Amino acid sequence: MKQFESEVPSSLPASRLRSVRYRMWGVVAVLFALWAVAPGFASRSVIDMLVFSGLYTIAGLGVAFLLGQCGIVSLAQSVFYGIGAYSTAYCTTHYGWPAPAGFAIGVAISAAIALAVGWPVLRLSGYFLALATLALAIIGQVLFTEWDWLTGGTLGIGGIPHLNLFGFVLNSPQRFYYLVWPVAALLLLLHRNLLRSRTGFAMRAMRDAPAAAAVLGVDNHLLKVKVFVLSAVLGALAGSLFAHYVSFVSVDSFGVDRAINFLLLAVLGGAKTVLGTVLGALFITIMPRLLSRFGDIHAVLFAGCLIAAVIFLPEGFGGALGRMAQRLRARQART
Amino acid sequence: MAALLEVKQVSRSFSGLRVLNNVSFAVEAGGIIGLIGPNGAGKSTLFNIVSGFLAPDAGLVLYQGHDVSRLSVPARSRSGLVRTFQTPQVFANLTVRENIMAGSYKQTASGLTAGLLGTPRARADIARMRAAADAACERFGLTRVVDQLAGKLPGGQQRLVELARAWVSEPALLCLDEPSSGLNSKEVARLMQTLQRLNREGLTILLVSHDMDLVTIASSIHVLCFGEIIASGALTQIQADARVREAYLGL
Repeated sequence: MKQFESEVPSSLPASRLRSVRYRMWGVVAVLFALWAVAPGFASRSVIDMLVFSGLYTIAGLGVAFLLGQCGIVSLAQSVFYGIGAYSTAYCTTHYGWPAPAGFAIGVAISAAIALAVGWPVLRLSGYFLALATLALAIIGQVLFTEWDWLTGGTLGIGGIPHLNLFGFVLNSPQRFYYLVWPVAALLLLLHRNLLRSRTGFAMRAMRDAPAAAAVLGVDNHLLKVKVFVLSAVLGALAGSLFAHYVSFVSVDSFGVDRAINFLLLAVLGGAKTVLGTVLGALFITIMPRLLSRFGDIHAVLFAGCLIAAVIFLPEGFGGALGRMAQRLRARQART
Repeated sequence: MAALLEVKQVSRSFSGLRVLNNVSFAVEAGGIIGLIGPNGAGKSTLFNIVSGFLAPDAGLVLYQGHDVSRLSVPARSRSGLVRTFQTPQVFANLTVRENIMAGSYKQTASGLTAGLLGTPRARADIARMRAAADAACERFGLTRVVDQLAGKLPGGQQRLVELARAWVSEPALLCLDEPSSGLNSKEVARLMQTLQRLNREGLTILLVSHDMDLVTIASSIHVLCFGEIIASGALTQIQADARVREAYLGL
């Protein structure tokens, strides 16, 4: 993905640049067409996987942004994912409120907690910060289990209504698919905007040399807190969508393993590119199911895939794609 | 001439070791002021106190007549006090242009929400940052490397990038920490010319260095030794000072 303007060699003639752009748009059009028709021919389980990929893209985008653009390792996303899910589950089943109210409450609570926790915690750095966010994930998991008056404990909350968009009930994976991916695409677009904005420059500056960024007037701590809150909002949004998709939430979905999954998708996808989040989400959703055909050994095989991906693609799938695109452009510039 | 920066009786200790002891000096607006001293004299500590990376145990830092001793680094930067680092601190994964664009951060104001939505204001800010960066690249001779990653450049060019970035941030006082460190003699000569040109255009420069060639461009020099200012004045006066010759020049 073209992350920075500088990735297009300045020596590329205008006509060739146009041709490269046309081809790029051609690829995008083909991918879009495939996406649009997929529910027509793919099985229900495949569409279900793609819906989960979309949900994980949304939640993972926040983690990837923190990691790739701010250099912050966050393992707390499962907490915000859980808050989003439980908020809408509780509001819609206990009070009968409409889903948007549940979404708003989940987002608001997550943002408030991210602000309250992030303000002191984001003064830490490196693995101290990672451990602090891990502690938050563990606390969240314990509270989701123990506060059974609110979360239903291990029994969870069932009967969460399906989303209803202007009378169109999203009660199947095929229907939900057409909601979750446009939402994910919109959020990816917004984050791409952010990456290219003044704030995006400040984030990347802070990641590479925090002292130098401060000298340029960047309030590193405040910026980290803002991005952490933004990340939490994405987590909550994904959690709320998840709750309405599966109609049942329990603590099993919001444990530390989920937090690790979100971090994993950011690392595998390539946290420095926005598109990498999608690739990472597809990988962590589809690969385990593909490998499950091999029986008990599937977990070992998945671990092997992870190790191979990290060794051979240290910049993640998105980084590798970006490098490939750069090479192609450079080759075209030469010919 | 009015003092742009005044350091008044600043002291600082680390684990009981007194690194600065009642240090006082002033930087007049429009000048190039040198701060020299042997290794371990306390130059870096003093520089960190002036730029806000360290707080003094005692004493004041006055900038444009205001006490900034407790102000954060970004707050000082916003008021025009900008520094560079002994080891160039470029944003390694950004290109040269992007590094310098980041220098215009405080000249622009669009926030996170505007950035997310890609509002016209956010786009105008980027256009402005880009124009300023391109002008700076032209001025500092970086046009040929404008699209290269700053982290891949040799040390001399990284220092130029850092200087150009500081310049686009429109400082009133530019504090340079050992700017000639790692440069060859040609690069030092070019740096001296650049600094003199910036100074002629009205930029006040505080130069911390142990490079005696570089400080020849300073209109006034303060000599720091074992945490105390032992001499102040023009270069000829400093060179003639017996304490300086003994403590710094080893003569």
